[in-house]
Amino acid sequence: MFGKGLIKGLQITWREMLAQKVTVQYPDEQIPLPDRYHGRFELDADKCIACMLCANACPNKVIQIERTRVGKKQYLTKYVMRIEYCMFCGLCVESCNQDALRFSKVFNMNQYFRSRVRLTLADRPAPAEEPAEEAGSEQEAKKKAPAPKKPAGAGSEAAAGKS
Amino acid sequence: MGENIFLNIASWIRGLLDSIGVPLLASDIIMMIVKASAIIVFISLNVIWLVLMERKISAYIQCRIGPNRVGPKGTLQTVADVIKLMTKEFLIPRSADKVIYLLAPLVVFAPPTLAFAVVPWGDGMAAIDMGIGVFYLIAVTSLSTIIFWMGAWGSGNKYSLVGGMRVVAQMVSYELPLVLALLGVIMITGTLNMSEIVEAQKNVWFIFTQPLAFLIYFIAGVSEANRTPFDLVEAESEIIAGPYTEYSGMGYAMFMLTEYASVLVISIMCTIMFLGGWLAPFGWTFLPSWFWFFLKVYVMIFLFMWIRWTYPRIRVDQLMGFGWKVLVPLSLANIFVTGIGMYVYRSIGW
Repeated sequence: MFGKGLIKGLQITWREMLAQKVTVQYPDEQIPLPDRYHGRFELDADKCIACMLCANACPNKVIQIERTRVGKKQYLTKYVMRIEYCMFCGLCVESCNQDALRFSKVFNMNQYFRSRVRLTLADRPAPAEEPAEEAGSEQEAKKKAPAPKKPAGAGSEAAAGKS
Repeated sequence: MGENIFLNIASWIRGLLDSIGVPLLASDIIMMIVKASAIIVFISLNVIWLVLMERKISAYIQCRIGPNRVGPKGTLQTVADVIKLMTKEFLIPRSADKVIYLLAPLVVFAPPTLAFAVVPWGDGMAAIDMGIGVFYLIAVTSLSTIIFWMGAWGSGNKYSLVGGMRVVAQMVSYELPLVLALLGVIMITGTLNMSEIVEAQKNVWFIFTQPLAFLIYFIAGVSEANRTPFDLVEAESEIIAGPYTEYSGMGYAMFMLTEYASVLVISIMCTIMFLGGWLAPFGWTFLPSWFWFFLKVYVMIFLFMWIRWTYPRIRVDQLMGFGWKVLVPLSLANIFVTGIGMYVYRSIGW
């Protein structure tokens, strides 16, 4: 019949009009981010042993580390990421042996000035020799294999919200 | 309840003028000014509402939410847009024909406004109950073709010119089926007065006796209002915005206002000629006549918007072919069949 397609088109748009809307009102509501989301970096400076693996793994030379020797061990004094060059590939996070460097779910890292984009994750003075050594060794022993906590069901919620 | 609310307001103003001793001619003029300003206010408010409605409907059809930030539930979005457009600069291109360029947005709003003068909003609620109302309305609305052409030519821009040529070609060729479709109704009623045409639909609406005419009128009306799928005039992907390309600020706003006002005119004409105007369906007269009128008009407008956000734009050759090869012969056939039917019924003696 002539005009069948026209009627079908109208039916489709009518159905869509009454269907559930997919828009998410961003500042008021947010889609739950997946656990593996590559957001802003987080550094647990106490866990870090300043091994430089992350800095060497970075293809863009984003990570700049300053360290001093305290006793027998390396001590992290400054950890700066030049995020403006970062492509969030995650090689640094993968390379971290101590689980010190992690991704968070913070994604709004925009700044008004380019100079403020730089991310300083640790900036601390080196401690005096004796107590720092003890504290560092203790912590290392404690947190040898920390089990990463994962909030269950967050990923499936995001998938459900999309449909 | 509320059936005579507008008539009472009119007679109250008239009585007030008489009581303070205003001569008859002056009070007539004052009444006309009151009616005209009421119509202009009505059109402006409606256009503001229709733009919002269009955006909301388009959003809903596309699974979005649409404007919902300005005012409660986004209802003041268009008001904000109008204020923005009013405060923007009105640019005049160097190559423009200044007089025509400036004149076009000034006069473009006149034809739809004039058309509203003869519309019966409810029982006995026409601003002017003209004997040749339908003829007047058709004549006045055809004027807008030349104003679009003025804007297109005055802009001195090739996109505007192409758009303007399309306006003229499209509007002139779709004017014909538009008028011929109405002829069937006019043959049955034997009058050009809109109130009498509405009264003639007391038993059965003309959409049931003249379904083909309604369809032809509706399609030609979509084309006359330059809306998708016939919006070749301002086809964004081809010719930027057609005749409106160079206009900015309030000039552009006037063209937009006219577009929505003409949608309103076409919907009102559909309501009066085919959907029984202010007459209540099934004898549901507990609601006032003007309410039924607006309800029907808004159903028509919704249909316009629904179609706009469903169908893609057609090509120029398809547009012309459809107009001249399908709509015009069909409307002529409709007149022919209506004439035969009337003759048969008369000879039977109905």
